[in-house]
Amino acid sequence: MASKGLCEEHNVTETEEPYVAPDFEPGASLESMLVTTDSLEELEQEMDSSFDERQMKESTTSTISEIQEEINDTTVPDDSSSDQDNKLIENDEVEELGSQLSETSLTSNEDCNAAATPVGSLTEEEGCQNPDWKERKKHVFILSAAGKPIYSRWYGNEDKLVTIFGVMQALVSVVQTNQDTIRSIHAGNSKFVFLIKGPIILVSVSRTTESVSQLVLQLTYVYNQIVSVLTSSQLNRIYEQRRNYDLRRLLAGAERLIDHLLNFMEKEPAFLLGAVKCLPLTPSVRDSITQTIIQTCGKIKNLVFAILLANNQLITLVRMKKYFIHPVDLHLIFNLVNSSESFKAAESWTPICLPKFDSSGFLHGHVSYLSDDCEACLLLLTVDRDVFFTLSEAKQKIVEKLRHGNCLEAINESVNRAGYTASQVGVPEMRHFLYKCMSTAQFWSPALEPPYHVTEESERLLGLYQALHHRLHAASRPLKLLHQQLDKETLLGWITSGFELYVAFEPLVTKHSATNAVNKLLRWIKKEEDRLFILNAPTF
Amino acid sequence: MISVHVASCQCYSLLVDICWYEIDGVPIRILNVVVGYHVLNPWQGNLSLVFVKNGIMTSKSEINLQNFYVYNSSFGQKEGEEEKKILFYYPPKTDFDTQMKNVGLSEAIVKFSDTFNPDQLCEALHTQKTRQLYHQAEQGFWMVMTVNIPFVIKVKDGTEYLEYQSDDVQDNVYLAVLQQSYKMFRLFKGSFTAILSSSGADVTQLKQKLDHFFSRYLLSLKLNHSDILDIFQGIQFLPLDKQTFLHVQCFVNLIEATFAQVKYTAFLYNDQLVWSGLEAEDMQVIYRYLVTSLLPAHLETELQGGSMPRHPTSPFSSSHYGRFVTGPPNLQDSSGNIGKVPKVHINNGMTPELYHLVVYRALSATVCLFIEGSLHLNIDLFKRLDIFLGPQLTSLVSEVAEQCSRQATTSCTNSVDPSPKFVYFNKLNLAQKSTVHLDNRRSGNVAVTPEVLRLLADINADKARMSTTGEIILKTMSDYWVVGKLSNLREFYVVIHQKNANLIEINDEVKRLSDSQLQSIFFHD
Repeated sequence: MASKGLCEEHNVTETEEPYVAPDFEPGASLESMLVTTDSLEELEQEMDSSFDERQMKESTTSTISEIQEEINDTTVPDDSSSDQDNKLIENDEVEELGSQLSETSLTSNEDCNAAATPVGSLTEEEGCQNPDWKERKKHVFILSAAGKPIYSRWYGNEDKLVTIFGVMQALVSVVQTNQDTIRSIHAGNSKFVFLIKGPIILVSVSRTTESVSQLVLQLTYVYNQIVSVLTSSQLNRIYEQRRNYDLRRLLAGAERLIDHLLNFMEKEPAFLLGAVKCLPLTPSVRDSITQTIIQTCGKIKNLVFAILLANNQLITLVRMKKYFIHPVDLHLIFNLVNSSESFKAAESWTPICLPKFDSSGFLHGHVSYLSDDCEACLLLLTVDRDVFFTLSEAKQKIVEKLRHGNCLEAINESVNRAGYTASQVGVPEMRHFLYKCMSTAQFWSPALEPPYHVTEESERLLGLYQALHHRLHAASRPLKLLHQQLDKETLLGWITSGFELYVAFEPLVTKHSATNAVNKLLRWIKKEEDRLFILNAPTF
Repeated sequence: MISVHVASCQCYSLLVDICWYEIDGVPIRILNVVVGYHVLNPWQGNLSLVFVKNGIMTSKSEINLQNFYVYNSSFGQKEGEEEKKILFYYPPKTDFDTQMKNVGLSEAIVKFSDTFNPDQLCEALHTQKTRQLYHQAEQGFWMVMTVNIPFVIKVKDGTEYLEYQSDDVQDNVYLAVLQQSYKMFRLFKGSFTAILSSSGADVTQLKQKLDHFFSRYLLSLKLNHSDILDIFQGIQFLPLDKQTFLHVQCFVNLIEATFAQVKYTAFLYNDQLVWSGLEAEDMQVIYRYLVTSLLPAHLETELQGGSMPRHPTSPFSSSHYGRFVTGPPNLQDSSGNIGKVPKVHINNGMTPELYHLVVYRALSATVCLFIEGSLHLNIDLFKRLDIFLGPQLTSLVSEVAEQCSRQATTSCTNSVDPSPKFVYFNKLNLAQKSTVHLDNRRSGNVAVTPEVLRLLADINADKARMSTTGEIILKTMSDYWVVGKLSNLREFYVVIHQKNANLIEINDEVKRLSDSQLQSIFFHD
């Protein structure tokens, strides 16, 4: 029903293509391993309502302890030691764990620290007085509710920015005295966006075309990144005990993750769409990879997720029955893998909190690349902190089987292939597109071709998509269709109940050929859907 | 459950309200309602039922002015004299601490934004419950206006909570409202710096003038009916054939030749401008004053049997319908009362000039005379003006009226009418035309839903990202198509409500409309 507007056009044109059915949804699937609620919409509702966030939090129970309880119910009586362990994790050890984490897995690799230093290597005379600093397209600041600096994107030494942090804290608290919440300041094309999350304040100063809600979404990701390192319960407890706590001590090393996340969000449409991209693979290869993981790990009781990814694309995801993963959590996992060179050197055992899954506790992750000759990274996430060797052994078996089945080659081949380009679809007017399937929260986009092959242009294209997305998803005035004829391109955004489509055309494309192009594109995606998307939702 | 048939005229706006929310796909935005209403849906011509629950009927809250202030930080720099920087504060009964706190916050916001972005001035502060607009009217003089964000009450898990509709308050629209308020002040009182320099830098006079003007002006703001026209602040021109237009121009020239005191003249027919000798920027403000304030107020007093009868029984003036809108209420009054004639400051950008604004009206025609401000007006001048203007204007107005009725196009006054509606604006001559708005009174009498009207301003805000030409076509959840075309400083917006149309049909429809309505104007495709 929602597909009217574009597809019906077939009645009046002489195209020889068949009629596209109104409920045509390439890539749709009845089952999904991802949570498919739109995170942007969730966010806007949260921001616009006076509903107290904390009230909602109290009512949610910890997913992790739920799983642990279930396991304990089924375990044989003599296994009581693990029961004790679980309780320990929930209580006092969390804090210890957090600091352990920041010391070990996050700061262990010295290369990473070295790579992170240039960001903060401005000399003292520079800093906020420096015109370059002011001209940065996007600043991100994090501070505690008491005004203590926690993070600044473009300057390592936050002490120099102490005045700015002070002003931001003052603005937040003055507005709070009116029982109100500051959201943004607008000056020309600059936006100053504030997000207050429990004990911390996040601020984005941006000169981009992104909307306030998109910037808030980014800040929420940054907050979630912090939660992923500390857990929300630890974060809240720290500030309950000491309001003036300097969180930098606990987050040492995690700046790198935030830096990387911010850069990542400036390049990747995945965050905007709230969806995940899959590595194109023939269905038989993907199935055999999935089956290998299920066969090898199926017996390991408290394994919650097995995730295989390469090059920011998902290869497969096997989950414990009943449990799903939110795209936000998956994006944070992508970011973790991406920004940690150390995983390449050796298999790691790292605590990780998935904020949407359970923000109050840690999962334990066995993270390793499949082999020296394969770029794919495997994460095995469990609630049990003592199964490193079991998982390590399982991983070895998985790699052996995959190698035997020529799956590693297939993965490599797909990673190294330049990828489909828009021109392969066979519609010359079309330069680039994003296609998101609603029912599976997966999206697909072709490789960037000229003119978008240079960074500047690809960022501009993402900016255009963001502006299009913003208007289509405006909280109180959502749209079904938006067609913009601009200087350098014509853009089309189209939302139906089944999918979202964003297309960049040549600037002078006629509406007639744009319409035909979209119909042709949808049929192409349908034809390729079992390669481009994961259409099932495997469980252990 | 009782169902009530809404039929009375008074309920009409309520009725329309309900339908809008339905059409926009949001089931019921009206809460705590007593009974069920049978509602006639004007767009679809059928009956729909709105179910409601116990309680009192409350729809979305309105947009109201929370505060409005003018400050200049350089006036209160000495310790203990901080209050001097506040030049005007509304509401006046606000306690001093709150005034200082709010002005202090604004100063901090402006300074904070300046730290990062010295080239661009702060324009708006969004909070969850309010929207604050900023305008530096003159160097150092900041005007700040705060409105509340409307909300609806919703229920989740048995708990009531408010949902704020922040998208309902559009920065570009309300910033324009704030800027207008300054221009209107300047028209009647002169610029802030001019007032200050005339009083030897004593702020008392400036404060008095601000208070005198804004305490009344702010009450006349129509915040719930502000829309894209506030951004344009355009002028509706009356197209006339050459002959009639020349007659009007001849008449104007004759006035200026006969009365040397008259420096400029403007001629309006109904709400449409026929001729103006003023700079467009000045006419823009005066036009808005005439059309939204002076003339409606005048018509009202006339309807209520105002000071002067339509057909004067006096033997001295029986031949015409002319009378002064600003000027003597009664020329025969022996006291020589010349009434209230406002003084206006124009040409503020260059060298400010002061004029008396004398407005004379006969039937639907209005003549504005700008008489040098230094002159003393007396009843004698008004009598001479009346004798000159009255008969000539009365005969001219019938000629113009005849012309208008002949070319009267299919004007649609019916909101049920499904034909395409449009708004056109040309930045070069400020010409504006709208069939979306059913009158010029800014009273919310529009032919589209409020959501659609806001989409026009959304498109206008996105215009900044286009260069000189561009086009935006969109389709809403309730199957409204909205088209915005931009070409060489001209803007053309079309609203079409057609459920089963597609992109190509809409494109053709817009082309037809622009061909018929704007024949001579070239648009890029």
